[in-house]
Amino acid sequence: MMNRTVKRIIWWGVMLLALILYPWLFGIYYTNVFVTFAIFALYAVSYNLLLGFTGLFSFGHAMFFGAGAYATALALAHIEGCPLLVALLFGFLGAAVLALLLTPIVARLAHSAFAMLHLAFSMLMYTLALKLRGITGGEDGIGGFPIPPFHIPGVVSVDMTDPLNFYYFAIAVLGGSLWIAWFLTKTPFGQIIVSVRDNDKRVDYLGFRVPQTKAVIYVLACGFAGIAGSVYAMFQNLISAAALSIAHSFSPIVMTMVGGVASFFGPIWGAAIFAVIEELTTRYTERVQLVEGLILIIVVLFFPGGFMHMFWLVKAKWLGFTKGKGFGVIKEKLFAKRSEKKATEDDS
Amino acid sequence: MDATTAMYVAQGIHGLAYGMVLFLVASGLTLIFGMMGILNIAHTAFFMLSAYFCYQVVVWTGSFWLGLLIAPVATALVGVLVERFLLRRIHALGLLFELTLTIGVMFVIMEGVKVFWGTENLPLAVPPLLEGLVNIGGMEYPIYRLFIIGLSAVILGFLAFILYKTRLGMVVRAAVADADMVNALGINVPLLFMFVFGVGTWLAGLAGVAIAPILTVFPGLADQMGMDAFIVVIVGGFGSLGGALMVAIIAGFLSSYGVQFVSQLAPVLMFLFMAVVLAIKPTGFFGERE
Repeated sequence: MMNRTVKRIIWWGVMLLALILYPWLFGIYYTNVFVTFAIFALYAVSYNLLLGFTGLFSFGHAMFFGAGAYATALALAHIEGCPLLVALLFGFLGAAVLALLLTPIVARLAHSAFAMLHLAFSMLMYTLALKLRGITGGEDGIGGFPIPPFHIPGVVSVDMTDPLNFYYFAIAVLGGSLWIAWFLTKTPFGQIIVSVRDNDKRVDYLGFRVPQTKAVIYVLACGFAGIAGSVYAMFQNLISAAALSIAHSFSPIVMTMVGGVASFFGPIWGAAIFAVIEELTTRYTERVQLVEGLILIIVVLFFPGGFMHMFWLVKAKWLGFTKGKGFGVIKEKLFAKRSEKKATEDDS
Repeated sequence: MDATTAMYVAQGIHGLAYGMVLFLVASGLTLIFGMMGILNIAHTAFFMLSAYFCYQVVVWTGSFWLGLLIAPVATALVGVLVERFLLRRIHALGLLFELTLTIGVMFVIMEGVKVFWGTENLPLAVPPLLEGLVNIGGMEYPIYRLFIIGLSAVILGFLAFILYKTRLGMVVRAAVADADMVNALGINVPLLFMFVFGVGTWLAGLAGVAIAPILTVFPGLADQMGMDAFIVVIVGGFGSLGGALMVAIIAGFLSSYGVQFVSQLAPVLMFLFMAVVLAIKPTGFFGERE
């Protein structure tokens, strides 16, 4: 027991040290690449809270990312002297409130109806962002808003236009959000959402309120996407309607599938894999999506559990460990044959 | 006939032509979903691919008619290959994996097209026979749009005939209801799936060729039509041909009259329509399965 705690502390210490030293080791260009990766990691993880943990499949997650980004950009552009953390809070609230408004409709749905309604709403948001030029700036978007310093009165004031300082701020915010999301999945509530995915009728019989549970995790997951969008808007100092597009809704799906849908850390790996691919392929070709598409096809065909699945298999083979909890989940829940699945649904 | 009526009728024809092309794309999509349970995200990529094939045929032979014949068949061939070698292998894993795979296929087709043909707009001329306007009852109609309406109507009739009057159609409808049972009765369901997927992509290809002279051939073609086609299938109800036809025509009129009366809001109208319908009935107008 003691040994395990010590091991864990050392592991976290090494991770933290690596994150702190990263900008000095790799220079400012790769620091910015890392911030982009971290933003998409949080975005994909927030998506997987819905897909992998609650079993809600959405086609319109970009709308919450965009809502957070636009809320932050609008706050910074229009409120004189808006503090940094307040702008961040606006990002979170922008997405969470939008999610809250949608819950009365979407919390009762599941499967493709849920996915399709999100497609409709996100396309509605996208067209609205293009058309309401007075507020959103249309295709050009909102850009050039001031980035305030990180300011605690009487204690510290750090200039956020410096990329190095912004790196630490972004990593703290995104890492913190990831940790909260991870912690959430370990709480009793985190167990309930998983059981809603596995068998929502039984959860209902046990006396838990299924739509309300779905609504809570939905609002939280969308809030996390809003935080990712908020940091993205500050990082780019620009937000345009492209952040709301359907292609942007696909990217967390793709990252989650490539990383591993049944694991919390899978989407982070997926985001990392795509960051590396983008970095490498842009040097040789403009057709990054061609490579991404091919990788997606190969992963789905040969490693349906994604990177984490592969990781577990290798671990099991070479180190003699058991295959891990996650593998069983993938196998039972996601790989089940249609007819078997239908049968279990009929039973319940 | 006065000018106002003429304007209404002209917009109506535009709307109907657009709606019929939408129906061609949507019918393939809804057929594939109803039969195989696959939400084919790559469907509109096939639609675009066919327009490029047609352009290539016209460049080689100079005949639009040959393009209309060959391009959809070539597209269907690509579709059959995708079904046989990619989708069939993961069919047992369920909807999510099939859907993700079609996203991958969409990426590959949309980017592959840019590799071969570049990113600029490629013009495709309307064949001489269908150029200009025709005068019916004191009104002038563009012939090409009437041709599109006619072509789609013929395809619709043909589809309905196959589905409801032949043995093949009966088997297809039975497989929609319960594929496992049909398989147990000794019918080669995987082959049937491949055939349906081919027909679905052929329909998308036909629509792609039909719309190409109006919109020109460019990589964004799939986005422009694609979203509308998805909305038509979703609102009409997955797997329902009649629903797709009804909503496609409503969508056509919404877009043509919407531009005329509330031009600012026209693109939003369609999504608003969809959001309202789905909020009330999540399976769409005629949809049964979720």
